Amino acid sequence: MATSTVSSIPLSLSDRLTAGFVALMIGAFLVFGAGLANSAVLHDTAHDTRHAYGFPCH
Amino acid sequence: MIVKTLLAAIVAGLISGVFTTAAQELRVTPLILHAEEFEGEAPAAPNQPSGQQPAATDHQHSLNDASPFGTMLATLSPITPAYAHEHEGGHEEGGVMFGMSRFSGTLLANLVTGAGFSLLLAGVSLVIGYPITIQNGALWGAFGWLAVHLLPAIGLPPELPGFPAAELGDRQTWWAATVLLSAVGLYLVALRREVIAKISGLALIAAPHAYGAPQPLDISSNVPAVLGAEFAVAALATTLAFWLVLGVVSGFINERFVKPG
Repeated sequence: MATSTVSSIPLSLSDRLTAGFVALMIGAFLVFGAGLANSAVLHDTAHDTRHAYGFPCH
Repeated sequence: MIVKTLLAAIVAGLISGVFTTAAQELRVTPLILHAEEFEGEAPAAPNQPSGQQPAATDHQHSLNDASPFGTMLATLSPITPAYAHEHEGGHEEGGVMFGMSRFSGTLLANLVTGAGFSLLLAGVSLVIGYPITIQNGALWGAFGWLAVHLLPAIGLPPELPGFPAAELGDRQTWWAATVLLSAVGLYLVALRREVIAKISGLALIAAPHAYGAPQPLDISSNVPAVLGAEFAVAALATTLAFWLVLGVVSGFINERFVKPG
């Protein structure tokens, strides 16, 4: 089961893990910036998005 | 190939971000604007009629003036004084970046958030070795929604402007920890066969709620409770739609453009 599903991601194991961790890091950076960063400009720009997504705000 | 995989995730996130912006305009954004009419009247909350005004100093005051307990937390917290210092330095004046309109700011933030969540979903999929396909895309999305929205919302429901809340740093820490524990817990419950893994998964999901989310001491608010209830449901429904679209679009792009042949 596991092997057959893994094979449909066209990457070697090391490439897959590299891509995965890079994706996790960039994704966490973006979500942090839009949702959590304590910058007034970022907060005001993303204000409605933060409320709509239920990020802790204010 | 790695770049192509990452690009696929970003494109899926941007598409979902545009969709979410449209979906939010239906119910969520009108409720936020409605609640802001009451926000300025709250005794503890300073005037902040819209996101356009400089908010940095206001926020700091609201943290300090909220309650004696809040002041104590602010004194104890290693984070808050740093924020205060940054704000007092006058580096940040608030306002929507690049002088964009409020709607453009929300669209931009939705695009960034969409790409971010999409990359996180793709990252999890790559690391644990379960690809996102058209068939299981909705399921991936549903689990993302559970981990990022529904489970944290049990302790910290989506809040409207003007709602009473505990200290921001505490809530953000609890929220981030809950998302992480819920994601790991859901993985253990859903994808591992061992009974012990499933039980520890449930324990991980329950742990932040047993610990308890940071709650405000004073829960009085000038924002009508009905608005809050409507908003909580609207926000959770809209984010569910976002995650389902994200999962299915990710699966579609993976199968159509990333998978060779």
